[in-house]
Amino acid sequence: MRQKTEAAHGKTKPPGLRRRLIIALAVPLTLILGISSLLDYRLARETSDSAHDQALTDTVFDLESHIRSQSDSASLELDLTKESEAMLRSNAPDQVYFSIRDNSGRILAGDEDVPEFPTPKNNEVSFIDGIHRGEAVRVALHKIALPASELLITVMETTEKRKESRGRILTAMLLPNLAVIVATLLAVLFGVRRGLLPLEEVEKEIAARSPNDLREIDLDASPREIQPMLRRLNDLFSLLREASEVQNRFIADAAHQLRTPLAGLQTQFDLAVSEGAFLNNDGRLRNIEDGMLRIGRLLGQLLSYARAEATASLAEEPTSVSLECIAEKSASTFLDAALEKGIDLGFDISPATTVGIPWLLQEALANLIDNAIRYTPRGGIITVRCGETAEKVFLEVEDNGPGIAEEHLDQIFERFYRIPGSPSNGCGLGLPIVKEIARLHGADIHVMRSAANGLRVRLEFPGLRTQA
Amino acid sequence: MRILIVEDEPLVAQGLKQGLEQLRYTVDVASSAEEAESFVQYESFDMALVDIGLPKADGLHFIRQLRARGQNLPILVLTARDSMDDTIRGLDAGADDYMTKPYRLPEIAARIRALIRRSNAIADACLRHNGLCLDTRSHTATLDEVPLELTNREWAILELLLMASPAVVSKDKLVQSLAGWDSDITQNAIEVHISRLRGKLSSGNIVIRTIRGIGYRVDAPEN
Repeated sequence: MRQKTEAAHGKTKPPGLRRRLIIALAVPLTLILGISSLLDYRLARETSDSAHDQALTDTVFDLESHIRSQSDSASLELDLTKESEAMLRSNAPDQVYFSIRDNSGRILAGDEDVPEFPTPKNNEVSFIDGIHRGEAVRVALHKIALPASELLITVMETTEKRKESRGRILTAMLLPNLAVIVATLLAVLFGVRRGLLPLEEVEKEIAARSPNDLREIDLDASPREIQPMLRRLNDLFSLLREASEVQNRFIADAAHQLRTPLAGLQTQFDLAVSEGAFLNNDGRLRNIEDGMLRIGRLLGQLLSYARAEATASLAEEPTSVSLECIAEKSASTFLDAALEKGIDLGFDISPATTVGIPWLLQEALANLIDNAIRYTPRGGIITVRCGETAEKVFLEVEDNGPGIAEEHLDQIFERFYRIPGSPSNGCGLGLPIVKEIARLHGADIHVMRSAANGLRVRLEFPGLRTQA
Repeated sequence: MRILIVEDEPLVAQGLKQGLEQLRYTVDVASSAEEAESFVQYESFDMALVDIGLPKADGLHFIRQLRARGQNLPILVLTARDSMDDTIRGLDAGADDYMTKPYRLPEIAARIRALIRRSNAIADACLRHNGLCLDTRSHTATLDEVPLELTNREWAILELLLMASPAVVSKDKLVQSLAGWDSDITQNAIEVHISRLRGKLSSGNIVIRTIRGIGYRVDAPEN
């Protein structure tokens, strides 16, 4: 819970490794592909344009071949029949305009409205772009040097065909290039995800751990690049392990050390009682007795809790455990306590085997039964069940006591939490011990309302088949 | 009855001593394994209460030495540790029973009585329980000195229950133990035998309790 809120309130989050990789790969790749497409397009366009220019040059030379120079230098004649001119002009869908001028700028032949362009310096055909009758045109200029004078042939062609082929080139290039870019991006996304998969697995493995699970991470199974980091993490784990072992040992030692003087105190108290010290003060006797019992119980619970936690980090070897046997044993342990409160402690057990640590499972059940006896009123009914379902093995304790109100359900597994106003002298460690033991065994805890409105706590262990 | 207490914590040792003396036992206290060692060499005790956590040599060591010399007095181990491991080591060393601190005087007294009774039963081959006596040698039973007629199966069931008392004996276990007598005995048959036994024991002070869903037990004897 706390971690989640921290993440939500976090300042600017540094980008994840995956995002960095994707951006670092995708941006330059897209740029490179884009630029290369642009260059390709320009090259293709130039090639197509020069082919069109070549065709225009052909028209120019065609026209030139029709010029008949007269012997007298002044006059020129265009030997162009109507059919030839029609041929020359037929260039659908483009329009062709032409003119031939002499060096004084007079139009000798062709269209009157062809504008005058500067005469090129040499005899090569040169090209410029222009606008004629409101349309873009390509203009070919050719200077012919005659003995007597100079002629300028101007041929203009509208640009429909050019536009058309440019459009074709564009579509012919754009689509495959786009496809390549998209494919590249997909490859980057997929590749990065694939490549980071082992990292994700390590992350998941660590995320799935409980705070007490301080086993080392298997280095051989992780990618080489992150092994140094994991090794540091393992060092940290071992430090934490030591620290928690020291802490657990301290709790256990303290509980041990406290037990002996408490035993002495209790013995002295029993002697005082038998000597009649509280003859006229029954209430005081019971208060002292309750207090001592409570301290004794708390010390026992502290020891159990410290040991359950220690087992988590030491990874005690689990064995096959019959929950039926565990339940049977608890019958002898709790029968007298139940009889004393007039509680009917019963069992409904069928064969159920799981893998685990026997004394811990015994401890977990003991805590559940102890709670049930503690909180169920005189004359109540408690039933201990175990058995197997298709996939699970379960162990549960049901009572017809007061149950637990909805609003406390979240907290009852917290250490030292006691429901406000609860009557008995519990110490708030019973259910945390159960939780810790359940966690160690990969079991789920279900807290339910029993049929008789009491409490029903069920531990569900993974079945033997699924555990193998 | 003479009892040796081996315990280094004076508060506990003195409390136990006074408490047991009130119950008319003769009590000696040794505060270390070495001291206890010299006690048992020169004196004879009917029973020993031994704390495991002693200075220098621990209680387990003392128990092992005692057993190695062939002394078979009942030993009740007192321990501040209640981990499975410790109790198993205690029993393996030769202790007969263990109790975890803190304990109450009446509890200790009950355990001492049970242990002494058990060791006497081994000696005179008699299972005694609140006026009931099963003589395993002569195979005769008496209830408050009156001869009690029991069938073989009733005898077997009662013997199992008395030996286990105050622990619960499951019906399964009863069926398994009786299978040698009669291979097709059922849980229903067990119920019939139990109800006959209850009838035969009704004049005495023996309670055979039914534990719903598991089996039966005979309540601990009173004294």
